[in-house]
Amino acid sequence: MNKRRPNPKQVPDPNEPLWRSTLRVAMPLNLSYIPIGLACGILLHAAGFNTLLTGLVSLLIFSGGAQFLIATMLTINSPLLSIVLMLFFLELRYALLSSSLSPYLKGSSNRFLFMFAVSLNDENYAINYLKFATDKKWTGKEALMVEHYSLLFWAASNVVGSLIGSALKIDLSIVNFALTALFLYMIVMQIKNRLTIVICLISGVLAAVCMMLTKSTLGLVISTIIASLIGFALEATLRKKLPDSHWLWRLRSPGSKKEAVEHSDAN
Amino acid sequence: MNAVNTWNSTQHFWLIILGFIVAFIPRFIPLMLFTKRSIPEWFNEWMKFVPVSLFTALVVKDIFIDSASYALLLNKYSEMLAAVIVIIVAYRTRSMAISVIVGLIGVFILSMFMA
Repeated sequence: MNKRRPNPKQVPDPNEPLWRSTLRVAMPLNLSYIPIGLACGILLHAAGFNTLLTGLVSLLIFSGGAQFLIATMLTINSPLLSIVLMLFFLELRYALLSSSLSPYLKGSSNRFLFMFAVSLNDENYAINYLKFATDKKWTGKEALMVEHYSLLFWAASNVVGSLIGSALKIDLSIVNFALTALFLYMIVMQIKNRLTIVICLISGVLAAVCMMLTKSTLGLVISTIIASLIGFALEATLRKKLPDSHWLWRLRSPGSKKEAVEHSDAN
Repeated sequence: MNAVNTWNSTQHFWLIILGFIVAFIPRFIPLMLFTKRSIPEWFNEWMKFVPVSLFTALVVKDIFIDSASYALLLNKYSEMLAAVIVIIVAYRTRSMAISVIVGLIGVFILSMFMA
């Protein structure tokens, strides 16, 4: 059906050790963390973080968005409480991500869930969600290894970025665009049908309006909840009333590939 | 952006610890609850739309909203054009690293002409 399969290495070597097969899955993400991690390390250094603390924040918070936010808010001298509150609203989205992974982690011990939650992140979520949905042999153990690989690369490139920042002078507003580009990439990978594009537009307008009204990133949380509910309601109505609606047709885009795999398995 | 921060390392350390707590709670609580009991189907259908809504909102914040006053900004032309380039590159290459690097180079070159 599609010439380009999502994963050309569909038949892995059965003797391949687990650490290598999971590293192979995690590698594209690891490599793309390098430029973003470097950018983040440079920004944190400019905000006054020393190299040791840059490493610590990357290990403990492990979120590009949160760390860029810390750097930005420190440079405008925000008070501690307002930074922590802002972080809380930014990190609230993980509640949605981790609940969508939870069906695949049933029966895990609390200790495992603790480890899994600490190193959960937008990007390794995207990989693990795709693997859980398409690969029957993918378990929590493999998913946790992918998380740890990405954590390692993220923290290392942040530390190197911090060292670069102390050695060179760099235009920070340009470095900040690394995160925007990352989010744009993730949007493109999520587009499955025309309805998703409509939801993007709705969410974009709502986000601008909500942020102008609340004068904080709380607007992000509100607009995300409203836009996703609109998407959910629209899709349910379309499926019920107009099951052949062209709004639900799959587009030839990266995001629709996952469904293509599931369909070929079912047939 | 000029670095005018006056915090010392101890304050940074407490910021990290508090940041860790607020980052950890939303990741852990749903995992703990929903692996013990089942999630209703409608909840999953709803969650499908969360990532795409959130990422769009974050991009709008980066490109169209002023980070200090939260007013609407429509003059970041180099970022807007670079964003279009990133979308095209992401669609065609499906590579996260290439998209980010092209975006950085793009915004760097464009800001020299459009600043």
